[in-house]
Amino acid sequence: MSERDLTPGIEFERVWKKFQRGERHDSLRDFIPSVARQIMGRGPTAAELGANQFWALKDVSFSVKPGEVVGIIGRNGAGKSTILKTLTRIIPPTLGRAETRGRVGALIEIAAGFHQDLTGKENVFLQGAIMGMPRSLIRQRFDDIVEFSGVGPFIDTPVKRYSSGMNARLGFAIAAHLSPDVLIIDEVLSVGDFEFQQRAFGRMKALAQSGIPVLVVSHQLERVAELCTSVLLMERGEVRFAGPTLEAIRQYLAVEQVPSDPDSPVILEQIALESGEQLRSGDRARVRLAGRVNPERATGKELVVLSLRNLQDGRTLAAITSDHGGVTLPGSGPFELEFELELNVQPGLYGLDSSVRVKAQTRRGDIAAGPGAHVQVLPGRPFEGTVQPNATVRLGAEAPVENLPQPSGNS
Amino acid sequence: MESSLTSPVLPAAARTPGFLRSFAEAVRDVRQHRELMLEFARRDIRIRYKQAVMGFGWAIFMPILIVLSGVMIRYAMGQASGGGIGQTDIAAIALKGVAWSFFAGAITFGTQVLTANHNLIAKVFFPREVLPVAAVLAQTFDTGIGMVALALFVPFLGVGLHPTLIWLPLLLALLWVLTAGVVIFLSCANLFFRDVKYIVQVILTFGILFTPVFYEPAMMGVKGSIIMWLNPLTPILEGLRLAVVEGHNLLLPLTTVARDGATVDVWRPASLLYTAAWAVPGLLIATVIFHRSQSAFAENV
Repeated sequence: MSERDLTPGIEFERVWKKFQRGERHDSLRDFIPSVARQIMGRGPTAAELGANQFWALKDVSFSVKPGEVVGIIGRNGAGKSTILKTLTRIIPPTLGRAETRGRVGALIEIAAGFHQDLTGKENVFLQGAIMGMPRSLIRQRFDDIVEFSGVGPFIDTPVKRYSSGMNARLGFAIAAHLSPDVLIIDEVLSVGDFEFQQRAFGRMKALAQSGIPVLVVSHQLERVAELCTSVLLMERGEVRFAGPTLEAIRQYLAVEQVPSDPDSPVILEQIALESGEQLRSGDRARVRLAGRVNPERATGKELVVLSLRNLQDGRTLAAITSDHGGVTLPGSGPFELEFELELNVQPGLYGLDSSVRVKAQTRRGDIAAGPGAHVQVLPGRPFEGTVQPNATVRLGAEAPVENLPQPSGNS
Repeated sequence: MESSLTSPVLPAAARTPGFLRSFAEAVRDVRQHRELMLEFARRDIRIRYKQAVMGFGWAIFMPILIVLSGVMIRYAMGQASGGGIGQTDIAAIALKGVAWSFFAGAITFGTQVLTANHNLIAKVFFPREVLPVAAVLAQTFDTGIGMVALALFVPFLGVGLHPTLIWLPLLLALLWVLTAGVVIFLSCANLFFRDVKYIVQVILTFGILFTPVFYEPAMMGVKGSIIMWLNPLTPILEGLRLAVVEGHNLLLPLTTVARDGATVDVWRPASLLYTAAWAVPGLLIATVIFHRSQSAFAENV
């Protein structure tokens, strides 16, 4: 709690934020009784919850120092936006201290100040001023901003005639030309078309790696994994985990796992990524899956499936079943399966989920879910366009039974 | 659902600063963000004149209507009492009409300035004071155009250049401070209570009749004029009329004799202090209320 610390940074100390559910009184008729209650001392104090109130943030603490890139992940409603709004002074914390030191550049709501009737040029000056850029600086960087945005010939056209992509690109271009001491980035990575996204991400990465303190909020886990030095995992207003990026992502994804049902005919108990959690495109991943057959329920037609899922969009890219590998599960008792598959996929974050199906009843889909793992795929062999896992399955420590081509979907 | 079992332990972050300190903070915020404020004012002006049939005609539309209504009313009054309406009366109504349209226009526009920019308030941080002040500035620009038009038109009504014209800046400054205080307060009130703008509209619609725009307080007789002088706008409007149209030095009192023989005040120099006593503390109090409540804006807008 150094009072006179002037190095740029973000400090969040034991912050609590109370929100109101449902309607607030917004006409005088409702307001007077509520004020009367407050005056009579019947209202809740700052530390108590009144009717319809809840804590959006509970005792959240973290700090970001120069050179650090901290990510915040969590589901919708976990408190990510509330943290950003508290940090940027849009809303005050109910209790605790939220502070930024230095000129803050916030890549949040990058086109919020645009007025539809004004031209692109007029909006650059307006939005720049809203973001805290002096007019002289905007004038100096105006040409760069226009060039970066790519709206060039339309800069003197009212923005209401812009496409939504042009709007967002111009907004991002202004924000990207701020020179802040502290950078706060919210889900702005999905702006414009693919080409612009790459450019925007490159720009952001350069800013983030320039040594200033950076806070990133995103659902795009692979971007978080690429940018962040550490991550804060939020759950229902509380910090569930704070620490190394991959560990935080693992915990976040673990939340989404359905535990194996003990009543299922085949119970999947454990999954292990023997080849490690970081691989390159084209590498072979080895997955060991331990389970048990319940002889009272098993019919002998059960299959174990390992699916490869893109965690960005949730799509399943490939599914490898135990019978494809010629493996028959034992009639009862524990077993171990070893899957091997080639990660012929784009760099990103992928999940490997296990489940149980019944042979010839593919329409019924999975009858039980098992544990899952995830793997971060880094750029490696150029991606060839189809997901070809070239998978093998074997039981226990036996030799592979069959090598099979396994076409399934595309990226 | 949520229990308060886990209760916070830290005391609230900061104590509210004192009155003058709050005001100083607000002034500092506005000074630091004056570029943003000018940018907002520029935006409001541009939008008003863009894609508009009347263009800059807007600036004189309302004053012209006010002058025409004034002439109608004064003509009717003249018909009833046997008096008439002179050219300088029209000039006086026009001048006071422009001043009133500044007051009414700034309030109409300024009351809604926070709710109209709710998107920005909920998403981007900047000192919120710049919004109502920018609204008053944009109205100042409009009124400036009205004033220029008036200056071109008044000489044809037989109004000469009086040395007492030097009172004009002071009177306009008083009007500005009074208006800014009202706008700052109402914009904040309308953010929390959405019915404020309707109340304000009703008051402004009829307010012109309780303000000496179309007539002079002395016409109301002794008792009536006392009530008229309670309106803090009265000294400004009458001051404008006397100094600009009549060439009266506002440091000197002026009386007239009513039809029943009683002496009625036309001008009391102290009335300017009365208006200042409304305008200056009004602006201070409104700014402090605004400044202290602005942290709650984003959650209520």
